[in-house]
Amino acid sequence: MTETSLTVAVIDPSPARAAILEEGLRASGVDKVVVIPDGPGLQASVAALQPDVIVVHLESPSRDVLEQMSGLSRQAERPVAMFVDRSDQTMMQAAVDAGISAYVVDGLRNDRIRSILDIAILRFNAFARLQRELEEARSELADRKLIERAKGILMARKSLSEDEAYKLLRRQAMNEKRKIVDIARAIVTAADLLG
Amino acid sequence: MRLTLGYVPLADAAPVIAAATLGFARDEGLDLALSREPSWATLRDRLALGHLDAAHMLGPLAIACALGLSGPQADLCVPMALNLNGNALTVSNALWAEMAPASDALPEVAAAFARVARARATEGRPLTLGTVHPFSSHSYQLRLFARAGGLDLDAHVRLVVVPPPDTVDALRRGLIDGVCVGAPWNAVAVAAGLGRIAALGCDIAPDCPEKVLALPATGAGFAPALIRAVHRAGLWCADPANRPALAGLLAEQAGLDLAPALLARTLGGDLTLDAAGATRCAPAYLRLDAAVYRPDPAHARWFAAQMTACGQAQGDDLTERAAALYRPDLFDGATGG
Repeated sequence: MTETSLTVAVIDPSPARAAILEEGLRASGVDKVVVIPDGPGLQASVAALQPDVIVVHLESPSRDVLEQMSGLSRQAERPVAMFVDRSDQTMMQAAVDAGISAYVVDGLRNDRIRSILDIAILRFNAFARLQRELEEARSELADRKLIERAKGILMARKSLSEDEAYKLLRRQAMNEKRKIVDIARAIVTAADLLG
Repeated sequence: MRLTLGYVPLADAAPVIAAATLGFARDEGLDLALSREPSWATLRDRLALGHLDAAHMLGPLAIACALGLSGPQADLCVPMALNLNGNALTVSNALWAEMAPASDALPEVAAAFARVARARATEGRPLTLGTVHPFSSHSYQLRLFARAGGLDLDAHVRLVVVPPPDTVDALRRGLIDGVCVGAPWNAVAVAAGLGRIAALGCDIAPDCPEKVLALPATGAGFAPALIRAVHRAGLWCADPANRPALAGLLAEQAGLDLAPALLARTLGGDLTLDAAGATRCAPAYLRLDAAVYRPDPAHARWFAAQMTACGQAQGDDLTERAAALYRPDLFDGATGG
C-alpha cells in the first residue's frame, strides 16, 4: 500500500474537533481524509468509502456499529480489523486518554498506523486544551462582570468611589476567607432579591 | 473510597444505578460515581485501561475482553450477575404482515420469519436485523431464533449494530427490518407504532444470561464492599413494591428519558405487543429477582458455546477459561451466601 493510496475516515460527534483532525491529517500528507457524520447513515458511508483507517472519538455512539463491521470478514463488506496495535499498551493508553480509538484494515503497516494516531492524539489533546482555556476565559470574564456589578451596587448604596467599593469587597473576602467573586455574587444576589 | 462504575442506559442497569443513588454503596463506605458510556466498546476500553473501576457489562463482552477477543485484553472477573433475560425481537410492521404467523408460538413465528428471510435473500435484497454488539446475548438469540425456523442467519440475513437509543429511529427510516434489543427499547418501538414484538428473549433461550458486574481480577480490594452494595440494591429492585420508584429512578438517573409508567410496566413484564394493543404478560421477561445475582459459571460456558457456534472464537480450552472468569466464590464471600 503506497502512502498516497491511504484513505482515513474521521468519525466524531463534535464537528469542530473532526475538522481539526481532518486538517491535521491532510497537513501530514494523508491523501484522502473524509469526515463521516455520526448517525444512522454511518454504516452505509463507511461501506461505500472503504477506508484503510477509521479514527473515531470515544464519545461516538457508533463505535459498536464499527465493531460489528470489523467482524464481517466473511462477507462482501470490507473487513476493518482490530483496535490500534494491540501489542502497544502505551500507545493504546495515550489514545484512550486523548479520547480516540481506531479501526484499521488488515495489513496496514504499523508505522503508518502509529503516525496517524500520533497526529490524532496531538490534535485531540490540543483541542481539549483549547476548550479548557476557553472555558477558563469565559468563567474569568463572568467573574469580572459580577465584581463590576457588585462594585456598582456598593457605590450607589453607600456613596463610595470605585476604589473604595473594591477595597470593601476585598476586605470582606479576607475577613470571611472567601474569594472576592463569592462576596460579589452574594451582594448581587441580595440586591436582586431585595430590589 | 471513591469508585467509578460505567454503565449503558438500559433497564438492567437498575442494580448498579440503585446502588449508587439510593445509599447502598454509601452504607458500604463507597463513594460510587456512575459514568454513562456512549457505547459498549468505549465502556470496555475504559474498563480495560483502568479509567473505570467496574462496569455493567454484556456478559459475552466481559469474557471476550478478558480472553483477548475484543478490544485491549484485560484480566477481568465476573463476581456477580445483574439480571437474566430482558431482550426481545421487534420486527417492523411490514415484516410482521409479510410473516403473518398462524400464532404467537415461537416455532410458528420463527418458521414464518425463515420463510420471508429466504425469499428476500433469493431476491437479492436480504432482510437486515439489528443487534447491539457482536459479543452479546442479543446476537446469539437472533441466531437461535433463526435456527428455530431452520434458517442459518449469517447466510441469509444482514446483521448490523444499532445503538439501543437509535433503534426506534432506525425502524422508522426503514434501515432495519427488525432488532433484538434490551428493555425498554422494544416497548418504546411498539409505543411509537413502529413495530411488533415477535419473540421475547426468554422464549428463545429461557433464563438467558445477560448483563454482569465486571471488575479487574486483581487489585480490586473494594470488590467485597461493591458486591454487597450492588447485591443489596438488586434485592431492592427485586421487590415488586419498589417498581414505580425504580421506574422513576431509571427515567431520571439512567438518562432513559421515557415515561416512567411505560418503564414500570416493562419491569413487570407487562408488554404491549403491537400498535393494535395486543398484550402479553411475561413475568420472566426481565428477571431482576433475588435468584439472578449469584454468577453461574454455566452461563459463561453457554456464552463460550455461542461464540464458538458463530465463529467468534475457537479452542478446546475456551469454555473452561470463560467459566473460570465467573467467580461465585467472591459473591459468596462478600454476601455471606
